[in-house]
Amino acid sequence: MSAWFRMLRVVVGLELAQRVRSVAWYVLLGIVAVVVGGIVVILFVSLSGWQQDIGGAIFSTTIFLVMLVTSLVTPALSGGAINGDRDAGVLASTQVTQVTSMQLVLGKVLAAWIASLGFLAVCVPFMIGSALLGGLRLEAVALSIPILVLEIGVVSAIGVGLSGVIRKPILSTVVSYLVVATLSVGTLIGFGVGAVAATEEQQWPDIAWEYDEDAAGVTERCIETGTTYPQTVQRYDRVWLFLAANPYVIVADAIPPSFDQYGYPDDLFGQIAFGVRQAQIPQEPTTCADFSSSWEPDADQGREVFESTVPSWFAGLALHLALAAAAVWGAVATTRTPARTLAPGSRIA
Amino acid sequence: MTTTPPAPDGAPEPVPAGPAFVDPLAGRPEPPALDAGGIVVRDVRRSFGQVHAVRSMTFHARPGEVTALIGPNGAGKTTLLLMLASLLAPDTGDIRIHGADPVRDPHGVRRAMGWMPDVLGTWRTLTPRQILTTVGRLHGMRAAEARARADELIVVARLDELANRASRVLSRGQQQRLGLARALVHRPSVLLLDEPAAGLDPTSRLQLRGLLRDFAAEGGTVLVSSHDLSELDEMADDAVFVDRGEVVGAERIVLARQAAREWRIRALDPRRLTLELSRIGVAFDRVRTVGDSAFVALDRDEHAAEILARLVGAGVPIIHFAPAVGEIERTYLGLAGDAPGAHRAGGRA
Repeated sequence: MSAWFRMLRVVVGLELAQRVRSVAWYVLLGIVAVVVGGIVVILFVSLSGWQQDIGGAIFSTTIFLVMLVTSLVTPALSGGAINGDRDAGVLASTQVTQVTSMQLVLGKVLAAWIASLGFLAVCVPFMIGSALLGGLRLEAVALSIPILVLEIGVVSAIGVGLSGVIRKPILSTVVSYLVVATLSVGTLIGFGVGAVAATEEQQWPDIAWEYDEDAAGVTERCIETGTTYPQTVQRYDRVWLFLAANPYVIVADAIPPSFDQYGYPDDLFGQIAFGVRQAQIPQEPTTCADFSSSWEPDADQGREVFESTVPSWFAGLALHLALAAAAVWGAVATTRTPARTLAPGSRIA
Repeated sequence: MTTTPPAPDGAPEPVPAGPAFVDPLAGRPEPPALDAGGIVVRDVRRSFGQVHAVRSMTFHARPGEVTALIGPNGAGKTTLLLMLASLLAPDTGDIRIHGADPVRDPHGVRRAMGWMPDVLGTWRTLTPRQILTTVGRLHGMRAAEARARADELIVVARLDELANRASRVLSRGQQQRLGLARALVHRPSVLLLDEPAAGLDPTSRLQLRGLLRDFAAEGGTVLVSSHDLSELDEMADDAVFVDRGEVVGAERIVLARQAAREWRIRALDPRRLTLELSRIGVAFDRVRTVGDSAFVALDRDEHAAEILARLVGAGVPIIHFAPAVGEIERTYLGLAGDAPGAHRAGGRA
């Protein structure tokens, strides 16, 4: 087993040395550090007037920025991993050694993953800075970073896997970008379009108010009239699952929310998760029961939303991991030698 | 036409075996045994869709010999070599490389086999030393062992001065030498070489020839595919001719060898030489003169011996009397000549 991993490490080393560790990669790291740093500083300046600890807000923003950057860069880093080697005539040189196709593909995935994690690494100083500002919760760090690392791995695996399945490097890179865009933007579009399609008309019971005037003053009384009126309702509760597949939602939903004094989530994670959780609750007609309780503002409103709905991050994460596994499996199948079938027009050496 | 057609009864006369050949009719009519060692190929077929790249190939490249693989472009040589290199599975038929079956035991084949492909890709940003070390490690060597072997091969490939520079600066010939070194990293006992001499300077060619002869002398098996027929004549013990996906049968080779062969004759007095040739009775359409050399097309070696004896007897000061083309080239041209539609290349007049 250790020999198996030693071989894997050789493939990772080769991949990092030949493809990734280029000048362009270092330049990109620098640019990302400057851009993310700039955004964080602007955020700090504009938020510091507020009365609360802003560490959580800055940390969550940094995590999402890293996620955005890696989803833009990783498909390019991993895009030509296998078909590019095939075009350059070096894939066969590794295939005639003792390396198995599983080691070859996994090594390339790991190398792309490590290279993309560099973008997380250059942003670590900003995360430490946000921790120094106070208000950063340990569970937010402990959950968001592993999930971010996993998500970067998923994109790396999809990029490398598609480069094995699709013959042309440019095409496989474009398809990887499309997959990433489908997950991060397409899910939002799907949610929006789905909500429009799932609009329905419901008959809602009508309520009315009666006012009694007496010596004590005016008492108001809610009565149900027994009639109904038509109401157009957006059934977000039927399409919210689209959002569960969104990588940003996955990170946000995985972290237990913390609430501010008004009962609302106090960082970007919690706010996104709150939105997704609210979408699960079907819109209901207002009844007199809603007015029976006190008029006090409900400080626990956010908490109630979270408690009455289900978390979805593990389902989304499982879907992503399944996609990554399928891509890797496909690449392993196409690089297996001796090859029995070849795609038309492809060369194997 | 200047060539003599085969006897009307179609029975080819036996010809004495040339120095590089064993008469294929006299030796081994049986298909080679699978455990015969070296490279055994028995009735191997491979098609890509409608294209039958390899229709039926059977041959045996014996240990201790250099075997030439010769055929026109598109004859199936590269497909065959890919199958021997355990990268492509044959549709039917059996292959053994040093006793291992590439379909069932590709790793056994890869331990025993060194392969130098025709399109030699190289990791462009890596140095020759890194490349050789990495390939050694991919063959399962320990790091220290792989480094020592890389140092050894850098001397063999005469790449000392370039060992620590990126391999993209290497010239074509230097790349070829690096490719050969790469094929030798794991001390294989079988070498598969596709056009190894392309781009090599004369010194490197001589060195390559010596290296392959030494490799065979130590009991190794060498299969060389090349279009440089005179080069092959110098170093090959045996030759396998392939044409349109098939190994050319012994009968066709015997016939091909009966095609007229040109002999180059030089004398101190060229005019006397041509005069004497016509006096002997050599048809003048069989003689052409280029500079001070006379090229005479002769059907049989006996005729050459007789003409030499008569010229010397007549007192012509002969200083050169030898076949104008080597044995392999003669056979190849003879085969090309009897291919349907091809012009007769053997009997230029």
